[in-house]
Amino acid sequence: MNGWMGKIVRIDLGNLKRETVAVSDEMRRRYLGGRGLGVKLYSDLCSSATDPFDDDNALIFMTGPLTGTLMTSGRYQVVSRSPLTGTICDSSSGGQFGAALKGAGIDGLIIQGRAAGPVYLSVHDGEVDVRNASAFWGLDTQKTQKGIQAELSSKASVACIGPAGENRILFAAIMNDKDRAAGRGGLGAIMGGKNLKAIAASGSRPVAISDPEEYKALADRLERIVDKNPVTGKSLQVLGTSVLVNIINAHGMFPVENFRRGVFNDAEGTSGEKIAETLLQRQSACYKCPIGCGRTTRTRDKQGEGPEYETVWAFGAHLGISDLPAITEANYACNELGLDTITMGSTLGCAMELSETGAWKETLRWGESGKLLEWVTDTAYRRGIGAELALGSKRLAAKYGRPELAMQVKGLEIPAYDPRGAQGMALSYATSNRGGCHMRAYMIGPEILGHPVFLDRFSTAGKAELVALFQDVSAVVDSAVLCRFLQFAVGISTFTEMLRTVTGLDFSDEELMTIGRRIYTLERLFNNRAGFNRGDDTLPPRFFNEEFQTGPSRHRRVRLEEMLDDYYAVRGWDRNGAPRPETLAELGL
Amino acid sequence: MIDLDRETLVKMIDHTELNAHSGEKKIANLCSEARSFGFYTVCINGAYTRYAKELLAGSGVLVCTVAGFPLGAGTSAAKAFEAGDAVRNGAAEVDMVINVGALRDKRHDLVRDDVRAVVEASRPALVKVILETCYLTDEEIITGCKLSVEAGAGFVKTSTGFGPFGAFPAHVRLMRQTVGPEIGVKAAGGIRNFKDAWRLIQAGASRLGLSSSVGVVEGLSLYKFAPTAWLEEEIPCHICPARFANLDKQPKAVYAYYKKKCLACPNVDKYNKFYE
Repeated sequence: MNGWMGKIVRIDLGNLKRETVAVSDEMRRRYLGGRGLGVKLYSDLCSSATDPFDDDNALIFMTGPLTGTLMTSGRYQVVSRSPLTGTICDSSSGGQFGAALKGAGIDGLIIQGRAAGPVYLSVHDGEVDVRNASAFWGLDTQKTQKGIQAELSSKASVACIGPAGENRILFAAIMNDKDRAAGRGGLGAIMGGKNLKAIAASGSRPVAISDPEEYKALADRLERIVDKNPVTGKSLQVLGTSVLVNIINAHGMFPVENFRRGVFNDAEGTSGEKIAETLLQRQSACYKCPIGCGRTTRTRDKQGEGPEYETVWAFGAHLGISDLPAITEANYACNELGLDTITMGSTLGCAMELSETGAWKETLRWGESGKLLEWVTDTAYRRGIGAELALGSKRLAAKYGRPELAMQVKGLEIPAYDPRGAQGMALSYATSNRGGCHMRAYMIGPEILGHPVFLDRFSTAGKAELVALFQDVSAVVDSAVLCRFLQFAVGISTFTEMLRTVTGLDFSDEELMTIGRRIYTLERLFNNRAGFNRGDDTLPPRFFNEEFQTGPSRHRRVRLEEMLDDYYAVRGWDRNGAPRPETLAELGL
Repeated sequence: MIDLDRETLVKMIDHTELNAHSGEKKIANLCSEARSFGFYTVCINGAYTRYAKELLAGSGVLVCTVAGFPLGAGTSAAKAFEAGDAVRNGAAEVDMVINVGALRDKRHDLVRDDVRAVVEASRPALVKVILETCYLTDEEIITGCKLSVEAGAGFVKTSTGFGPFGAFPAHVRLMRQTVGPEIGVKAAGGIRNFKDAWRLIQAGASRLGLSSSVGVVEGLSLYKFAPTAWLEEEIPCHICPARFANLDKQPKAVYAYYKKKCLACPNVDKYNKFYE
């Protein structure tokens, strides 16, 4: 079978039963793999009544038909129900693990049940072994990966949790290939709940390619296109994702102190340029990636990976901190402990405002960089105020009577673009199926960077259609599975060509867009059944009621209601945000 | 609704690489992309004409070489030699830069003769005359177009891409109105996405000079799935050359001309908020 390995394994950690899950050719074509097929399998196995920490809850690791083939194809997707938000959730990570899992002979792994004690899974030659992980339980993600590699093979790629996942912190990440993170949504906590410390994958089974000659020509062409594109060929390579710090700050939408201002006076000191000048050791790249946006850095005392743009912001401007080494070391700590940096930083910002207003008696002050490491570490171990921070911003703010101070959507913290500066980004956040996420529809492209079309960032016109389009394209890319940065250089027609060349199936642009829409709608159906509706497609009240008084985004508020009905209409959903029967019929759902 | 298919669009594109720092590898990549997408020409500097011609053999993609680029301020003899040399090396089209200073000095005979010298030296290749509109008033653009046509040019072109701004629909429209339907109008400089390209095509451009060709073509494939975003009415100031007037980079008379034009424009009051 070209593109897919043709094997998805389901394992119950409670009774150690393993089975191969039958997936028809038709289902592969309708959902591709990765996020799409993962969500479909999850929806078939679990219901909206399934608690994320139930033994029966499924945690699904998926690759896609392009995994292990063309450039940026080392990624994998993890799908389950988020313990942080209660929504359907997929989280994506780079590195090598996706390619390794496929090289080990499987397209995906469905994990259910709870092991009696700590275990890890070893995948090799299409077989899944369950191994004792007692020696690794309690170790951080770096030591865990090294330990498992020492036990199995130095060539094994390992995805694991750290203490945060073991302690079921609601925003625990899954870390692989040293410092790559499936960070958002807390799926690492589900691994912890299942006593699953890690998954190791190794093998070199080749992916069958339909048209090897065209494949080589396409690979060469992609190299040239990515190299020539100013974002993928220059900015991301030289400055990493933190190239955005100065750009977003210059637009007055770089959130400062829990989204109370849009211009950070010390932005330059935390920018990609400053990282390159002071901390950067070398750029790092994932499997078959010519971009290499990763940053291997060094502070006075430590070396590690990062920080990327969102993390620079989360531990920087968001907390009023401009101490770049402190921000970087907080990032290292999150990598080692296995925590999502966005939710961690955003929760700290919420806590600081709660403290400032007197709602919370603990003293956390803006700009207090000296305690960052302590706060992060205590969160992973639920000790001291860390036990409170471990709630995430939504639960923390609600507990202290100020729910409006949590900058989240559906329980997931909003990242580093203030929606008052980009109306399309506001709609993207509000309608994201996994909550406050910038990756579902990256409207910064058209609203700030002018890609693929330049739109007035303060206008609401035309945004609904474009948000839906971007969400659908993203669903396709996440299901194929490739890095989303490729979208800066190529569009849907190239993704179609890639899938056709690898699988041999006669995909068209139209079919891919239908697949994207089907996946997005299926996720929405799950969320609807879990109780999410129009009322949840919203933003914190700050964005509707408060304006910046200075900066290029001053005197602006989010005008969500101007876009939401249009968005539902584009999607074929009713006014409450539920897919209409005819839409479901059209998509075969 | 945009009535433009991919095949038509790619045949309007001069796939361009004119940076001083670009070497053979970049030119090879450019030619490979042009071959894959079927662009009309690759537009390059003269040192690579023969190389590109060899790389593109049998592809149907033509070579377009620049002359007197990017300043246009050399002698006519030098420009003519450069153009003739390019044609002998395989160029099917020559993009020359007009003598901008002479045009602004109203030395029209010199300008016309300058273009004519290149046209004659380039035969049978097509000659496009780059006006570098960023340094000109509307009146000077009109004059530059007329002189170019009188001298036998097949195209007039907006920009080198090295000036303070590139192609604007207002300039393309003016050029098209001036030269009529029989002469080509090439828009170049600052065309980054499909919407930019489409605006210029609507204004009358029959050829596009692009270094972002792949992105523009990919944009067309996305457009069909969300046309509203691409067709949304433009804030006119966003695509007006007056908004991009820059005293540091333009002659002060040209800068003053645009600012005066801006102040007299009814859109200023309507869209003033966008100047915040």
